[in-house]
Amino acid sequence: MKLFLREQIPLIVVYLAQLILITLVYRLDGGSGVSVSLYAALLSTCLLLGYLAYRYISNRTFYERLETVPTSLDEAGGPSQDSPLAVSLRGLLGSQFRLYKNDLHSYRHKLEEHIHFINQWVHGMKTPLSVIHLMIQDKDGPPFTAIGDELDRLKKGLDTVLYTARLDTFEHDFYVERLDLETLVRSVTSEQKRLFIRNRIFPTIKIDERIAVTTDEKWLSFVLTQIITNAIRYTTEVGKHVYFHGYIQEEKRAVLEIRDEGVGIPAGDLPRVFDPYFTGVNGRIFQESTGMGLYLVKQICGKLGHEVSICSEEGKGTTVRIVFRESYLTKM
Amino acid sequence: MFKIFIIEDDRGLVALLQDYLHKFGYETQAVNDFERVRAQFETFAPHLVLLDVNLPKYDGYYWCRQIRGISTCPILFISARDGKMDQVMALENGADDYITKPFDYEIAMAKIKSQLRRAYGTYAGSNNERTLTVAGMALDVERLVLTRGEAKVDLSHTEAKILDELMQKSGTIVTRDRLLEKIWDDQAFVDENTLNVYVTRVRKKLAALEITDGLQTVRGQGYRLIPNWGDED
Repeated sequence: MKLFLREQIPLIVVYLAQLILITLVYRLDGGSGVSVSLYAALLSTCLLLGYLAYRYISNRTFYERLETVPTSLDEAGGPSQDSPLAVSLRGLLGSQFRLYKNDLHSYRHKLEEHIHFINQWVHGMKTPLSVIHLMIQDKDGPPFTAIGDELDRLKKGLDTVLYTARLDTFEHDFYVERLDLETLVRSVTSEQKRLFIRNRIFPTIKIDERIAVTTDEKWLSFVLTQIITNAIRYTTEVGKHVYFHGYIQEEKRAVLEIRDEGVGIPAGDLPRVFDPYFTGVNGRIFQESTGMGLYLVKQICGKLGHEVSICSEEGKGTTVRIVFRESYLTKM
Repeated sequence: MFKIFIIEDDRGLVALLQDYLHKFGYETQAVNDFERVRAQFETFAPHLVLLDVNLPKYDGYYWCRQIRGISTCPILFISARDGKMDQVMALENGADDYITKPFDYEIAMAKIKSQLRRAYGTYAGSNNERTLTVAGMALDVERLVLTRGEAKVDLSHTEAKILDELMQKSGTIVTRDRLLEKIWDDQAFVDENTLNVYVTRVRKKLAALEITDGLQTVRGQGYRLIPNWGDED
């Protein structure tokens, strides 16, 4: 309505000027009295109001369309009336929308192809990895341990690439089931045994064995692996432990706490550890920080519906807490 | 003797698998023409198939269905794809089990054995039981028994694992890291002290067979089994 009125201001001004002009001409010519002039003015104003009303009603949706800001792509259609202005606006918006959609579609297609390529490539790389893995399996001693360590790093790097690429298509790629938390944690720590042994750090697991959580095994394993890798990397003294503590909070929510006795995170860095590519003070001191680990942890937990938080004290260690959305005590 | 058919396009992996399987007394054959997998399967008539998913021409699922059309022998998938959905798909196409790359020999072996047992009976052709012999001392890995001449001593699982590793490399040093890795399992985490305890126990078992200083500690490196008890094999 407002827009309509603003739009019609020039017309109203011209109309008033014309009215005054014509009245003046007649008055100065001495033809008519005041009442006749007023009557003529009233009649013609009624005509104007009628015209404006008609214009407004026939173009109402057009103006409404112009005044509302679309919040999503689906609302971007044109006005529904059939006045010439509305029709042409509808046409314009429609063709713009199509162009935009085509463009968007081609980019989405490219992105999907790219993800597909990354997937294929990473899986392809796993074959040479398995070959090296098998070749050194029966060997012991310095060069082979070193090759084994590098192999582990490669494996982890490939997994990070794979999971980062998959994050966008998460919806097609997860399989939720009820899992026993203790079994899951034990199998993940066992997979990382080389890392634990090499650094002389040992896991201590204390998890209520009745806890079952609803989650995706692969994604949660990846999350735990990231947290464990961090815990071990930032623990410099040998003989320390990484504690896994699983318990039920009030409101029946299961919590998994992973606490290390490492160097801790400076308070200034703490709020930003979940940001992508953020490495902080520790990242600059220690090698191999990509800043992606905790970012992925946060993203994946978000998608799985788990809450993740971190607290740390410099020199004492870091604790990562995962709170599961719903959990069950399995019947004994 | 069991026959195992390997359908995998990576030569290196095939060679390693074949070497390892030959050690356990299996006969193997690998596919060389990926357009005629089915014909090669029929002429070889294997007891078990190891099948990769990504293959030239047709994928593993396709060949799995083809083989299922003519045989019920166990089929094990070997694939880099670790997703649940990939595994479900393999099982739906007729596979019996799934091994994810990269894998350990032990895991592949355990799965192969269990499939063969299931398909052909418990002790069918049990010619692949593993015993290790070093200078007259024999370790039966399956039954957890250590024998020397007439003398015989029972071992725990962990003790057997330690001896297995030491005897395989008798005469050379086995690092502590490697022993820790071998005896670490899901249920029990072993730290340095636990390993010391186990090594002491192994020494006691050896002493029961009148072997006193066969198992030596190499400071800062690990342990070494020296066959110095003078029996000839």
